[in-house]
Amino acid sequence: MSRRLQKELRDLQLTGCPTGIALLKADDFQTWILSLEVLGNTLYEGEKFALRFVFDNSYPITPPAVMFVVDDENQAPIHPHVYSNGHICASILGNEWSPVLTVSAVCITLQSMLASCKSKERPPDNNRYVSHAPADPRKTRWDFHDDSV
Amino acid sequence: MKVTIKNWHAIAQWRWDIGSNEVDDEGDVCGICRVPYEGCCPSCKMPGDDCPLIWGECSHVFHMHCLLKWLGTAASKQQCPMDRRPWGESIVSS
Repeated sequence: MSRRLQKELRDLQLTGCPTGIALLKADDFQTWILSLEVLGNTLYEGEKFALRFVFDNSYPITPPAVMFVVDDENQAPIHPHVYSNGHICASILGNEWSPVLTVSAVCITLQSMLASCKSKERPPDNNRYVSHAPADPRKTRWDFHDDSV
Repeated sequence: MKVTIKNWHAIAQWRWDIGSNEVDDEGDVCGICRVPYEGCCPSCKMPGDDCPLIWGECSHVFHMHCLLKWLGTAASKQQCPMDRRPWGESIVSS
């Protein structure tokens, strides 16, 4: 289904990414990196994050693996749903995925998840999760207990 | 003046009748593969009767093959990808 990704790439290049989102790397149809900023008056003002999308052949029937890049240059945002290893607990990336969602729609959702954050905290089980987390966040069985942030 | 037509060729165009005349940029592509309804799903080579559309009771339309691929996964929970309502096929007489 990389044809769908080709279309998404062309759309992003022709009509531009949503505000605050930029395409950093999309050399193939396996891994894309996008940058994400939360604009306006939010707790993340002035911060810039990188998101990694990993697609498999069945995209968009299966969701992409989406995580914040954590390396020498990038950190995961401090947020109750974002673990320090970059894994994100968001229902649309797991059991609420829909094949009509796009890279752009996922970025916008994550942007608004950050924008509505009231206090910068790591998830309460961060250390426990990060020490046992699978490399692919889609292998984690998340409990979605909090819809408020 | 008298004109004699020696030969001619006709060009026909077809569209699926999706029950609305509005043609907007987003409205006439399958939401799953993003290919126009009149094109075919990524698994097919020829558009037309072999790659038909499917209508939901919720009024959403997809390439049948795209939707069946989705409904074939446990993750779909047999829901419409657009509105997450239980998928039911709408039987339209044509």
